[in-house]
Amino acid sequence: MSNNKNNLCNDNYFSDFYLKHVQYASNFAFYKCGDQAQALDFVQDAFSKIWENCSKIDVTKAKTYLFTTINNMFLNNVKHHKVVLEYAKAAPYIDQDNQSPEYLLEEEEFKIKLQNAIAILTDGQREVFLLNRIEGKKYREIAELLNISQKAVEKRMSGALKSLREHIENI
Amino acid sequence: MKKENDILKWFNRELSQQDIKDLKQSEDLDTLEKIKHYSSQLTAPKIDAHQALNAFKQQNKTKPESKVISLNFKTVFKVAAMVIIMLGASYFAFFNTTKNFTTDIAETQSLRLPDNSEVILNAKSSLTFNKKTWKDTRDLTLDGEAFFKVEKGQKFTVNTDAGIVQVLGTQFNVKERDNYFEVICFEGLVSVTHKNKSVTLAKGKGFKVVNNTIELIDNTNNSPSWTKAESSFNNIELNQVIAELERQYDITIEVESIDVSQLFTGTFTHNNLNTALLSVTIPLKISYKIKGSTVTFYKYEEK
Repeated sequence: MSNNKNNLCNDNYFSDFYLKHVQYASNFAFYKCGDQAQALDFVQDAFSKIWENCSKIDVTKAKTYLFTTINNMFLNNVKHHKVVLEYAKAAPYIDQDNQSPEYLLEEEEFKIKLQNAIAILTDGQREVFLLNRIEGKKYREIAELLNISQKAVEKRMSGALKSLREHIENI
Repeated sequence: MKKENDILKWFNRELSQQDIKDLKQSEDLDTLEKIKHYSSQLTAPKIDAHQALNAFKQQNKTKPESKVISLNFKTVFKVAAMVIIMLGASYFAFFNTTKNFTTDIAETQSLRLPDNSEVILNAKSSLTFNKKTWKDTRDLTLDGEAFFKVEKGQKFTVNTDAGIVQVLGTQFNVKERDNYFEVICFEGLVSVTHKNKSVTLAKGKGFKVVNNTIELIDNTNNSPSWTKAESSFNNIELNQVIAELERQYDITIEVESIDVSQLFTGTFTHNNLNTALLSVTIPLKISYKIKGSTVTFYKYEEK
């Protein structure tokens, strides 16, 4: 631990740490606020907090510290935008063999419904749902990241699915 | 409830293919499956990590680093300075134990060694010894003339350029000047080593080397005359007497057509220059004149 090379105060080590986590950190911030520029601002602020306190932060806990810091920033009255995520280009449909125009149209409609349904989830539900769906994180990992219990994550996920389903099927 | 848990497990990739099939049979999960499928195709905005890092560094680089680093270095320097000061102080307190005593012209100094031995330093002499090792080896270095009253104990050694004097416990005088080395024993036994030759002196005996000629002398005094503010000479060349006069009175003596190797026997006082000069010059039929701090010796008949 006292190895100087593995110290956050070391410029190179910090840069590696930054490059490794900046994308996930800004995704995480984006799921919460829905604004890319604002998300990046939060991430930069969180990183600069780590940099300022580099000597006090345990290297093994730096990642948790980063996500906790971002999480805490949102507790302090952050203005929310509607969180609308784009679909990846060339995203395959569920039934890749079915090329009928009706089916394709139906699926496109579903995708828009899904986007809208995600946008009106609560913050807690949305971040859990997106961390699970987009980043493929297990509930246990999400719990660690958000500093909450796994049970709470499962509850939010359950709520998210219920809400999505209701909105999509009812509209 | 069971179903809800299974759905959660399904989304968490904890369900086997068979379980998924069972789950799908028990309920219509088309919507959920579509949600599951399409939501994973969503993407968050891509960040250019390197560009973000550069922007970050420009914002943060200077301030916090200087804060953190300078703080660290300050404490490091503080500690280093303290260590150095402590080492230095302890060095002077415990290790640098070499003691040195020096007398100037016309000055004598009486001092006591750690073992209570007494030393009287004659004018223009210096004595050096190590306080730390004194307990083990009573070893000192003398340049000039000194009278020693040595307490009984281990071997007591006086090192001079001309030779080494060793005793156990006694009183003796060592005089080491240019071309002159004299040891006189006043009590006990003294061993003198000069140019690899050892001589043992008993009480009242002396050892003298002048211009490389060794001479044994007898002595009847109880202590060297200079400790009573006089200098005594017994068949000593005039130039040695002149040198002693210069040491006791801070004068320069010049000689004009006088044989400085003639021998002198007598005494001069350290308290009065005129008396001292008279005591030296009268027996040798010499005249002198004083000009400032320069004294010139010249032949009687010439004037």
